[in-house]
Amino acid sequence: MIDHILTLLIAIPLLGAAAVAVWPSHRPENYRIIALVALVLEVLVSVYLYLSFNNKNPGYQLSEVSDWITLPVGSLGIVSIDYALAVDGISFPLVLLAVVVLFAGVISSWNIMQKTRAYFALYLLLTGSVIGCFLAQDFFLFYLFFEFMLLPMYFLIGLWGGPKREYAALKFFIYTFFGSLLILIVMICLYLSVIDPLETARVVGILGMEDAVHPDLIPQIQQWLVDGKIAPEQLVHTFRFAFLADPGNYIPGSLLDAASQYLIGNMPVRLLAFWFLFIGFAVKLPVVPVHTWLPDAHVEAPTPVSVVLAGILLKIGGYGFIRIVDGFFPVEAQYNMIPLSVLGMISIVYGGFNALGQSDLKKMIAYSSVSHMGFVLLGISALTAEGINGAIYQMVSHGVLSAMLFLLTGVIYDRTHDRNIDHYRGLIGVMPRFTIITGIAFFASLGLPGFSGFVGELFTLMGAFQSNALPVWIPALSTLGIVLAAAYFLWTYQRMFFGQFWYKNENSHVLTDLTVRETGLLLPLVFLTVLLGILPGILFDMTGPTVQAWLEGLR
Amino acid sequence: MPDSAYLLPAFLLLGLPFLVFILLWLGGKNINKLAGWIGALVTAAGLIISLKYADPEMLHIVRFNWIAIGNTSIEISFRFDTLTCIMLLVVHLVALLVQLYSMAYLHDDENLNRYFAFIQLFLFSMIGIVLAESLLVMYIFWELVGLSSYLLIGFWYFRPRAVWAAQKAFVLNRIGDAAFLTGILMLFYYVGTSDLEVLSLETGSISPGILTAIGLCLFGGCMGKSAQFPLSGWLPDAMEGPTPVSALIHAATMVAAGIFLLARISFLLTPDARLVIAIIGTITMLTGAIKATREWDIKRVLAYSTMSQLGLMVIAAGFGSWQTAFFHLTTHAFFKAGLFLSAGSVIHAVTPSEKDKPFDPQDMRTMGGLRKALPITFICFTICAAALAGLPFFSGFLSKDAVISAGFLWAAEHGALYYIFPVVIILSAGLTAYYMTRQVWLVFFGEKRYSSFVHPHESPALMWLPMAVLSALSLFIWFSWNPFNASGWFLSFVGYAESVHLVWVPVIAGLVTFLSIFLAYREVKSNDPFYVKTALTDSASKTGWNWLRDYSNEHFFIIPFSWITKWLKVFDKNYIDAWVNSVAKASVIFGHIISWIDRNLVDGIVNSVVYIIRLAGQAARSIQNGKIQSYYIVTAAGVFLLILWLVVM
Repeated sequence: MIDHILTLLIAIPLLGAAAVAVWPSHRPENYRIIALVALVLEVLVSVYLYLSFNNKNPGYQLSEVSDWITLPVGSLGIVSIDYALAVDGISFPLVLLAVVVLFAGVISSWNIMQKTRAYFALYLLLTGSVIGCFLAQDFFLFYLFFEFMLLPMYFLIGLWGGPKREYAALKFFIYTFFGSLLILIVMICLYLSVIDPLETARVVGILGMEDAVHPDLIPQIQQWLVDGKIAPEQLVHTFRFAFLADPGNYIPGSLLDAASQYLIGNMPVRLLAFWFLFIGFAVKLPVVPVHTWLPDAHVEAPTPVSVVLAGILLKIGGYGFIRIVDGFFPVEAQYNMIPLSVLGMISIVYGGFNALGQSDLKKMIAYSSVSHMGFVLLGISALTAEGINGAIYQMVSHGVLSAMLFLLTGVIYDRTHDRNIDHYRGLIGVMPRFTIITGIAFFASLGLPGFSGFVGELFTLMGAFQSNALPVWIPALSTLGIVLAAAYFLWTYQRMFFGQFWYKNENSHVLTDLTVRETGLLLPLVFLTVLLGILPGILFDMTGPTVQAWLEGLR
Repeated sequence: MPDSAYLLPAFLLLGLPFLVFILLWLGGKNINKLAGWIGALVTAAGLIISLKYADPEMLHIVRFNWIAIGNTSIEISFRFDTLTCIMLLVVHLVALLVQLYSMAYLHDDENLNRYFAFIQLFLFSMIGIVLAESLLVMYIFWELVGLSSYLLIGFWYFRPRAVWAAQKAFVLNRIGDAAFLTGILMLFYYVGTSDLEVLSLETGSISPGILTAIGLCLFGGCMGKSAQFPLSGWLPDAMEGPTPVSALIHAATMVAAGIFLLARISFLLTPDARLVIAIIGTITMLTGAIKATREWDIKRVLAYSTMSQLGLMVIAAGFGSWQTAFFHLTTHAFFKAGLFLSAGSVIHAVTPSEKDKPFDPQDMRTMGGLRKALPITFICFTICAAALAGLPFFSGFLSKDAVISAGFLWAAEHGALYYIFPVVIILSAGLTAYYMTRQVWLVFFGEKRYSSFVHPHESPALMWLPMAVLSALSLFIWFSWNPFNASGWFLSFVGYAESVHLVWVPVIAGLVTFLSIFLAYREVKSNDPFYVKTALTDSASKTGWNWLRDYSNEHFFIIPFSWITKWLKVFDKNYIDAWVNSVAKASVIFGHIISWIDRNLVDGIVNSVVYIIRLAGQAARSIQNGKIQSYYIVTAAGVFLLILWLVVM
């Protein structure tokens, strides 16, 4: 069991989903209890993981690898798809974040009353796929989880959403599907270009089934590969991340070989592949100008789905940038630092201005997410230790904060079904506790020191400043983002919460203060953002060694 | 004492206010009665600790590791030296007096616990700024001080104007802070740290052009906090907060943090940066002084005056003479806090007991002749006003002199054009004397202009005692033996040795001051002194929001921002989204064309595919009845085809 702890993390929600789907009883309470139990188990497993995770180890930990599909296909070599899971300092914080956010999501799903069986089955399916995405160490497996995430998300928005849910769901789906199509193309090209040196060694016969791997073996095989000593039929093609990241495993003369001379139009194939992957993940993050699905999806999605969407789904974009885009195309990433960081800067400023212009609370928060995710892109594109660590930190911080913000929006929406900022005034008079927690969430999100938002912004900006390749004006202009954040959060706060109490509609009596469940859900998140803000070492100790090794591997 | 001995005071000075903040905040309304005393007691304890550990001759640094990433390691570090020593005394003393005063001033407010809690939060962050050894640590507390200022300006949250003013203060400060942060991060890039001690050794390695840019970025922080042009608009509006808060935060301590920052970083300011700083300070000083001569609100006169005096300190820092700037900061802290507390006492006295009477207790046009009813307040106010106006024998005279002398010495080094700065300072000192005379006359002299239902009464001892203490501290004796020579013990304490004592400077400055007072006095003799009667009649037009927009930075920031926001929103909706939508529409049309081709050309194949999909779709429908099964199948089929393709190839 302990050897397959990561599998367990994926299997629990998937089994839960199956259990919900076939459960004989028709009482809706049962489904949500199954979902809750599954998520509680997830939390317990991740606590165990946290305790057994070694911060000092920069490599992959708790790896599980087994052959999944192996097929000889003649002159094209041998197809090898592995079931490979592992965590390292880059993915582990995001796995923990996923568990926290999804747990919060299931509790806030408590008052979903329609079609509960389908809802909780899809929710658990989503849970398993999201966590699978962060754990997968094989591109094929990753892609499978990545695609499987879209479907439950589509249904969750399209069936339990607001009035324009079908439009929003379709938009979400088409955008993301377009992105994943680009990823798929590059994935196939990568697959055709890369071999698995260990499996190849076995096929060639210099490594027996039971032999231990000699440290000189991989360089030897790679040398053979360069010399053309291995027949094409004996090459074992792979999707494994570890092999894709090593330029020595690329077949000379193949499509994506580092020395590849192939051009499409006037663009080298590798550069084109880099941009394809980038756009694929940029849709997810999202980066301006491929962000317009996000506000619509958020506005229409029910509260828990918004929480999960902003809290964890967007982070797969950032994770993809680090692990896949920069990991497999480091030369291209260094070559394109300036355009990428400019895109980050534009997202920060553009998202901020748009947030300032919204009158729908959820849209405001959605655009603020665009702005905050811009910091992630800025930090990653800088390719410095501060920038990458800061970007991971910012993702975790934003995960916690956006979950809080959407839960708070849900509180208001549950009571009045009205999210227009201008329809409320002086809420502090009737909802004092709600006002205080919203205040904390707003100030934490606008980057007040002492909360996690500050550290994320500080380090992504610092990373961009530290990078020798980036001109100073890019991060300097990005600081406009923190001014805008103060403006849109405080302006919203002022409009909705202060002054004399007033509500546009008659039924103002429904505006009651937070219930015990809501408070109990929000306070742990408040605690998390303060904890991370004061002791950022909790995360940085985890990510630091891995990022350092990752950066050294890049050069 | 060794450095490690300073761990304890660092913990106590920061920890006590923070703990009391939490305690009072969570304590709820039950502890309203006690809250003030708890706060005052803790602040008194802080005062004693800062006195006990005062060791101005030596520099003591306490460090803690916070984060280490890559080549960057960040320490939380605090320092104790001469500057901290004085600032700690000033902050604690004023805070103690203000808290005592507040207990009487706000005695019937129902959120008293919150008020004193926020004051403690303010103290925590202000002391953090004072103790900060690195600029990053200072920035952290800098932001927190902004938070406490926000909370205290907006303390009466049911007043829309107060909340608006609080938000405006925070956002305008944020603009300066963004520049401050940029400066800090540039230091991290060029030097690798923001630690002041390290920086003071390493600045030589940076090229002057970059150092100028860094210096100006850091000055951005000062522009926000110390209300310098063009980020100054928030300070007059911040007067919406309770008056003791204005005294503590927006006159004596927080707004002086910018000057404190300039004093800390004076070694890295290049001559170019200093010139810009001096120019910005001059603009602020003049606009503040001119605005103050026209204002009718008793607190806003003082706010503009604060702005003007902060401008003066910034100019002094621009001269490179941060010691004189710091000198003026200290004297200003006492007499301006005294003025605000006295103004609060006036407001307290003229507030009608019946709440429903339409009467603005802050409007000087409806005051007049109050010296008989409020003798103690009158004396305190006049002493502090004399100090502000720069009359001999008061502290303001000394510190202003020191700045003007520094200005002449600086100009002598740089050339004829630079004499503009000290001359403008003398002129603005004249304006100061003018508007303070005007204010004293409008409030305390002349005929009674207030309504019959106002019954002015002297404030209780808990209020006038702090005022009296601050007035006493506005006398020259605390700063120099000789009332006409600024280079007394204060300046030698901060290590300032004036090379030449310019005897004629106090004479000229004194003459200008007396001339202005004379001019103001002539005005008093006229029929309509200071247009008080004319203005009274058209006061109706200046209500509502207009007065707020009077002098705000809407023209610089808010209007352009809202304009950009509006157009970007339209752009996002009509261009980016529309582009995406039109692509989507085009694809649909394209899809129709393809489907037409499909129907007519490959009908048979399509039909069979559709049949399969439908079959599969029906299976999926048992799970769900949306429209997306086809996508589900497409994806699954895609994966299947991929494998198939790989296998077949």
